[in-house]
Amino acid sequence: MRLGVLTGGGDCPGLNAVIRAVVRRGVLAHGIEFVGFQDGWLGVLQDATQPLGIAETTGILHRGGTILGSSGTNALRVEGGRASVAATLERHGLAGLVVIGGEGTLKCAAELADDGLRIVGVPKTIDNDLGGTDVTVGFHTAVQVATDAIDRLHSTAESHDRVMLVEVMGRHAGWIAVYAGMAGGADAILIPEHPFDVDEISRHLRHRHLSRSSFSIVVVAEGALPVDGTVELPAAPLDENGFPRLGGLAIHLAPEIEARTGFQTRVTILGHVQRGGSPVAFDRVLGTRFGVAAADLAAAGGWGRMVARKAQDVRDVPLAAAVAERNLVPVDLYREAEVFFG
Amino acid sequence: MRIGILTGGGDVPGLNACIKAATNRAVQEGHEVVGIRRGWAGLLELDPGDPEAAGRHTVRLDPDTVRTIDRTGGTVLHTSRTNPARVRPDDEPDFLKGGRKGDEARDHTPHVLRVLDQLGIDALIPIGGDDTLSFALRLHEEDVPVVAVPKTMDNDVHGTDYCIGFSTAVTRTVIFIHQLRTSAGSHERLAVVEVFGRYSGETSLVSAYLSGMDRAIISEVPFDVEKLAQLLVDDKRKNPSRYAMTTISEGATFVGGQMMMGGTADAYGHRKLGGIGAMTGEALKEIAGEGIIYQQVGYLMRSGQPDALDLMVATNYAVMAADLLLEGTQGRLVALRNGTYVNVPIEVVRQGVKRVDVDALYDADEYRPKIRHVDGKPMFLY
Repeated sequence: MRLGVLTGGGDCPGLNAVIRAVVRRGVLAHGIEFVGFQDGWLGVLQDATQPLGIAETTGILHRGGTILGSSGTNALRVEGGRASVAATLERHGLAGLVVIGGEGTLKCAAELADDGLRIVGVPKTIDNDLGGTDVTVGFHTAVQVATDAIDRLHSTAESHDRVMLVEVMGRHAGWIAVYAGMAGGADAILIPEHPFDVDEISRHLRHRHLSRSSFSIVVVAEGALPVDGTVELPAAPLDENGFPRLGGLAIHLAPEIEARTGFQTRVTILGHVQRGGSPVAFDRVLGTRFGVAAADLAAAGGWGRMVARKAQDVRDVPLAAAVAERNLVPVDLYREAEVFFG
Repeated sequence: MRIGILTGGGDVPGLNACIKAATNRAVQEGHEVVGIRRGWAGLLELDPGDPEAAGRHTVRLDPDTVRTIDRTGGTVLHTSRTNPARVRPDDEPDFLKGGRKGDEARDHTPHVLRVLDQLGIDALIPIGGDDTLSFALRLHEEDVPVVAVPKTMDNDVHGTDYCIGFSTAVTRTVIFIHQLRTSAGSHERLAVVEVFGRYSGETSLVSAYLSGMDRAIISEVPFDVEKLAQLLVDDKRKNPSRYAMTTISEGATFVGGQMMMGGTADAYGHRKLGGIGAMTGEALKEIAGEGIIYQQVGYLMRSGQPDALDLMVATNYAVMAADLLLEGTQGRLVALRNGTYVNVPIEVVRQGVKRVDVDALYDADEYRPKIRHVDGKPMFLY
């Protein structure tokens, strides 16, 4: 059996762990031969491949990024994309594809699988917002990076008696904000699932500064939204795929908080470092387990399915069902984090 | 003798180690140490008519209170950017507002002298950058015994080769750059990493040198963004991993004040608010037609714990400052020159500005560090 492997969407720590495990398990347990496609769907469309065997995947477990490269290309938005994907698979005599990606990449995979293409999905995104699985590859590393940053920013916020807004990634879901905020002892956490009222936050910060402490740390998910009608923030510009290009919310929020509290308010946007660098142990283990499961799933002909983590187990779920829902921060978890605000 | 210690300007890692070492040294010799809170603002805002003011604005420092402070970054005394010689109406405490006519900045040095007298402070160790130390010099001219300690992560205090905070800022930036490499490489991008450094490009230059960046843009040398784009596209082409990176000082400028082209206003305001790095990123995207990553290191350069070198220098500066005051020397700045601890007249902070030696260390055509003939140079190259 021959299989293609690709990584799509934003890179994240742990992708190489998945690639390594898929190949190791596939070769040793099932005698599968692999072809690596470069830069996500783009490599399939353009037939750009690289050798992918045990030799090529040795020594990459601890490395961030992806040895296959990645892109945001959506095969379905390119004219003749479906036919081109099918032709490439045919040309290489591939039985199927292992697609490692987030929402965009896997939605594309689910639709192609629906057309009859033989695909196994592996969920990765630092945002942790994919349905069907409790957790995605990359999330815990992003949380660790954000937590370390919050720990350090405490000293600057405190020395200057300031409010520090720490903006983290999280387009639809505030998982990184809630986890890193909880771990870093944030005084407020703003997430997309729970619209914020800047007046209320400012009152809360003022109360905190007057009664107990001279500084505050507020963690802001880039996709957080104000309660309708409370504050005017400029809309994000759209990217080439028509999605809002997020990042920078905190820059606009800072003067609003400063005006309402009278406290100097500064911004730190963590941005790409959240998904750069070496994966934490959790993501190496998760990526490795997902990779092993994906190779087994493909060998067993489990096409159109995605490996997933449920409770402590790795299992598989229908790909289409996974991308049809979104994993959002449950209200209860946010309430737990809220206990420590202020 | 009763010695006052204060920290002013931006926080840097190592300030607490400095406060601790100076306190221990002075107390060891039988002297008292008073910490003044929030830099010069602690003295400016201290109302001599309020019997409780001293308790709010100062804190007694002794070996017990400073025992554990060196384990964290920031400054336990807190800090401010207040300069009592130029106080704007907004920063003027109510009890000093008498006689104000317009919005002009006023000199409240006489008030500060009164407060020092009331607190019984015989000598001062101010720890700060250019601005903070300019008022230290003013007090020296008013015959207050002062020995100043230079700190800024930009390393731009004139008269010393090294300021507390610089090493940690570079260490953090180098780690940050290496973390960004996987994202830049995976997506085959041009990456712009903006670092603090308004007037001196040393953080950009040295971080780029130590992390092997393709290019470095520094405050001292205006750059042509079209040329930078060509260089980076070329760097990317030659890189087997197909990406290229540049550092840029927040104080960098385009050649001839060259402005951003095009009216494609970013509705999200990045361009205007993000400053030169964001503008450069947008320009690279337009000129080169390449995807870019723009990232500020920002406050993460100076937050958190000091590295070993900053601990070393902060501690030694503090011991030296305390020793100088105890032996009756005053009006000095502790400093490093050619790798040696020395003290110099405090007037030196006003006698010039410290900038990157462009001719010796920077290739202004290629936009990158040019480090040669290291033999005989001091540890930080100049």
